[in-house]
Amino acid sequence: MSASASGAAIRTEGLTKHFGDITALDGLDLTVERGEVLGFLGPNGSGKTTTIRLLLDFLRPDAGRSEVLGGAGADPEVRRRIGYLPADLHLDPNHRGVDVFELFGRLRGVPDHGRLAGLVDRFDLDPSRPIGELSTGNRRKLGIIAAFAHAPDLLLLDEPSSGLDPLLQNQFHQLVAESVDEGATVFLSSHALAEVEALATRVGILRQGQLATVSTIDDLRRQARQRIDLHLADSGRDIAVEALTAVAAVAGVVEATASLGVLHLVVEGSVDAALKAATRFDVQRIVTHDTDLEDIFLRYYATESDG
Amino acid sequence: MIVFERLLRDRRRSTMGWVLGMVAYSVFTVAFYPSLRGQTSFDDVYEDLPEAIKALVGTYGEVSISSAPGYLQARYFGLVPVLLLIFGIGLGARAIGGSEEDGTLELLLSNPVTRRRVALERLAAVIVLVAVVGATGVISLLALAPPVGLFDGLRLINVVAATAAATALALAHAAIAYAVGAVTGRRGTAVAVATVIAVTGYLLQGLATVSDAAQPLRWLSPWFWYLRGNVVINGPGPEAFLLPVALLVMVAAIATVQFERRDLR
Repeated sequence: MSASASGAAIRTEGLTKHFGDITALDGLDLTVERGEVLGFLGPNGSGKTTTIRLLLDFLRPDAGRSEVLGGAGADPEVRRRIGYLPADLHLDPNHRGVDVFELFGRLRGVPDHGRLAGLVDRFDLDPSRPIGELSTGNRRKLGIIAAFAHAPDLLLLDEPSSGLDPLLQNQFHQLVAESVDEGATVFLSSHALAEVEALATRVGILRQGQLATVSTIDDLRRQARQRIDLHLADSGRDIAVEALTAVAAVAGVVEATASLGVLHLVVEGSVDAALKAATRFDVQRIVTHDTDLEDIFLRYYATESDG
Repeated sequence: MIVFERLLRDRRRSTMGWVLGMVAYSVFTVAFYPSLRGQTSFDDVYEDLPEAIKALVGTYGEVSISSAPGYLQARYFGLVPVLLLIFGIGLGARAIGGSEEDGTLELLLSNPVTRRRVALERLAAVIVLVAVVGATGVISLLALAPPVGLFDGLRLINVVAATAAATALALAHAAIAYAVGAVTGRRGTAVAVATVIAVTGYLLQGLATVSDAAQPLRWLSPWFWYLRGNVVINGPGPEAFLLPVALLVMVAAIATVQFERRDLR
């Protein structure tokens, strides 16, 4: 297969899945390069979990194809190199942590070198207790350890931070970062932007089963709308209206309002042109609000309510 | 055989319960025989029962219920397949359907195992577990029966073969439960379908012994394969093994292929 020579960790072409009348995933074309962390963002029900389940061969596509680590997700040799953390972790409540680790370890047949013990230690999990007696947090720990125990080349993480307290989240993020340093590829599905921002280099935004955009975090930030307030020396009404008219005409200004000598602007991209237009109105003070990726993100989501 | 071993281990507690139950049933069967042995009055009562009721109780032809083979047939070999069948259907339904429904199957399948391997190893474990419980039944009976004369004039090989036939009958239904679970991913549906088939087969077999009209249909009933005559005196026929095994292989093969092809739920 020449396609596998590309070396991508994940490659999908026109991947499509219907459930009855619902199109869960609609022609997904996505490439995840080896060694990168791709944040896969989207609201609940946008197709993130469906994508992961297609990659793992739990679901069969209605159209299109996917390739994982140069092979098929159905191939056990490919799955040996995958660590999967599902959004909803279902484990036999009668099993203990050690039962799960032992079973997975034997199936994977990968030499351990004390990695498992290290992870159990690090996450401070008691693996001898039945899973049914564990708290949600401890169950998540168990899932994380099971997913990372065999030092997989590809991590498929579906909403990994749900059910983790901030301390644990931090530990988890460290583990992800270390795995990436060791050369692992991470496919991180999430609806929480902060998490993706902390870990990912690129993001794909999924909306109603379609890929709305794929972009680096930096590009997203550059695109991000900035909110700035310009305080004018003259708080008169006429000058405010005049300034507002001038600034609002500048390309990139998507929103402009005024109140008592203050112009409130929302600018897409560079603020340079808007500032230049405003300077002749004697700007006394500039107040900037933090660039918010959330806004971008919501903009991609917002279209969802269309039609 | 990692998946196979794990299922055996996971079911060891419930299997132990069934093993104890089978031993208890052997004890019960053997303990009651002395009080019934040679009681012709019992036969008289029995004689007056309609054929259909007799068929349901499990007596055939001229074999007296108070004789060892009549008693064993009605008392022991009537209920043992039912017990094995309940155990087998439960196991078969959980093998794929149950574990898919509770979500544990998916995480298992994220490991380097094929669906086929998981399905077939689990089916093998179900077969072994039902066979173990069946074997305990006959072993405990063999150990307990001779002192009270329950084996008098019987060939032991027939008793063993009858247990094997009862196990085969149970396995055919366990395979149906496994198959429905593997195709639908639902434990409840699997139990329901297998149970309906078991009950229908049982009633059909009973009906066929008293109704000529039902005669041609009796071969459709797995119970007929098992209970064509007194299994204790005559031993089960080859059909009591061949047909359930053929049924098992067929439904398991079809279901496993379906399971490989479909989406997980």
